[in-house]
Amino acid sequence: MAAVRLVSVEKRWGDVTGVARQSLEIADGEFMVFLGPSGCGKTTTMRMVAGLEQPSSGEIWIGDRDVTDALPKDRDVAMVFQNYGLYPHLTVGDNIAYPLRIRGHSRDERRAKVLEVARKVELEHLLERRPRDLSGGQRQRVALARAIVRRPQVFLMDEPLSNLDAKLRVSMRAEIRRLQAELRITTIYVTHDQIEAMTLADRIVVMQGGVIQQVGTPAQVYGQPANLFVAGFVGSPPMNLMPAVVQDGRLHVAGQAIGGMPPVGAQGIELVLGIRPEDLLLVPPDEADLHGQVYMFELTGDAVLVTVDIGSSRICVRGDRHVRHAIGDIVGLRLDPQHCHSFDARTQQRLASH
Amino acid sequence: MTAHVDLSLAAPLTKARRRRGQHGLRNAAIVLITVVWVLPVLWIMATAFKPPSEAAGLALWFAPTLANLFASFDVPYLLGSRLLNSVLVTAGTLAIAIPVSTAAAYAFSRFRFPGGSAAPLVLLATQFLPPVIIVIPLFVVFRNLGMLDTRLALVIANLSFVVPYATWMIKGFFDALPVDMEEAAQIDGASRLMALWSVVVPVAVPGIATAAIFSFVVSWNEFFYALVLTRDHAITLPVALMSARTEQGDAWEIMATMGLFIIAPMLVISRFVQRYFVAGLVSGAVR
Repeated sequence: MAAVRLVSVEKRWGDVTGVARQSLEIADGEFMVFLGPSGCGKTTTMRMVAGLEQPSSGEIWIGDRDVTDALPKDRDVAMVFQNYGLYPHLTVGDNIAYPLRIRGHSRDERRAKVLEVARKVELEHLLERRPRDLSGGQRQRVALARAIVRRPQVFLMDEPLSNLDAKLRVSMRAEIRRLQAELRITTIYVTHDQIEAMTLADRIVVMQGGVIQQVGTPAQVYGQPANLFVAGFVGSPPMNLMPAVVQDGRLHVAGQAIGGMPPVGAQGIELVLGIRPEDLLLVPPDEADLHGQVYMFELTGDAVLVTVDIGSSRICVRGDRHVRHAIGDIVGLRLDPQHCHSFDARTQQRLASH
Repeated sequence: MTAHVDLSLAAPLTKARRRRGQHGLRNAAIVLITVVWVLPVLWIMATAFKPPSEAAGLALWFAPTLANLFASFDVPYLLGSRLLNSVLVTAGTLAIAIPVSTAAAYAFSRFRFPGGSAAPLVLLATQFLPPVIIVIPLFVVFRNLGMLDTRLALVIANLSFVVPYATWMIKGFFDALPVDMEEAAQIDGASRLMALWSVVVPVAVPGIATAAIFSFVVSWNEFFYALVLTRDHAITLPVALMSARTEQGDAWEIMATMGLFIIAPMLVISRFVQRYFVAGLVSGAVR
């Protein structure tokens, strides 16, 4: 186990920037999730930690060792790949034992350790099978077992659940979290699935365009997004983002003045007001901060999602599952000032909570 | 009503007759092609065991003899040494070509370097030159080095066309292999070379075997370079066939006996490695 430190790490391919001079510290034993859309640089960053990509500049430290120029084999990391990266010509047992065989462990030692981890991931009855004879979930567990068979300093996981069906993903997610909590090995986990990120992470790194947008606990990232990108990316449905402006000491959204909301920013500055669907209340029009017309009504089972057209934008509201509205109904929305977020429309950075 | 019934019966009958006709034509075509392919082989097999007096005939019934076999191994045909030359030249070619091609194919498939995408094409383009053009400089070089009529010269000449093709075949196979696997091996503690040896090569065995079979076949059958670059000591089987054309006439029975030895490894190979060859050829085409 060891901390991981990235110091001004950059990755360029000619004119294309994969990761732009980023620094980050991952604490010893921490479960850090890199979250972002495709092409945001999260996998590249992890591959640089693994040694599979050479940084164009900067340093990478694992523990007290500068591994920037070290080969992958010398970094003492283990990795689970998106497509598992299993060895098709070897049995499950030999796949798991491969890191030990390469490192010259004796046959007896290998057998004992393979059995131990196979039990941990419930694979002991499949050790003689080949990867092609296994289901997706079983292959995933083989990849996990191979990663934990020796206790590396760092676990790297590159979207390891993306090829599994939704149900299996939930159970494997729990399995990964339990294993990490048990082994307390520093883990970097790459995903574009925010539910995975929220449920697994001690801290989340949100990336976009090769730049770290925010580093924080899941609650911080969800509750206090650092900028418009994080606000719009994290959450499903995403945060409602509405152009707003301060006029006459009051906040105006879509031409409607919102009372009871202390204005943030100076007069005339263009803002973006953000509020999550679950922080909005559907109320009778005469008690509302904002008025609009129901544009779409969806029942998700545990809740309803009502999309309300307020003129210049559409706002999604998560309501009680018993609520019913017809398309075209006039509805009122009440905003909870405590859960509203203001962003500078020009810099896109968070201004303050209301 | 009756007319309706007649029509409904007649249509399937016509269809069945047409289908039977098509089947017949197809079977006839298959038989014809098989005969064209197999008859020469059968002729060689039969002629090898015919007495010289009957060698030129097409008689199906004859008293089989091993005299041709003994004569072939004797002076002036020296089948034994020619066979040894063929075996050594082919084995030498394979022993060098397959590791070299595998390494080259891996490099072309995985590494990015200046001119990297053009290099494999250039390698293949060298094969578009007619051998008759290449053999002239080869002949001069080998003569100057005192290597004419040596097995090593033939191995080198064979490598000039075996390596490019084998590299291309194996590269196609490597291209289809996921990189994840060898990256996993490197993270698990293997060097790149060890990852290649312990993970990539075992998985690519069908492709490498395909290239090896191909290399074997073209080396074993190679005639032109062997004809130009050998005179006496390093003569291989295909060139040795020529020695059966003497001033006394063509010794068909000797040629047939030598032909048997040329064909034999092909028959053995086709029996044992067919599955690799097919797997190798179709891999990458269908995922």
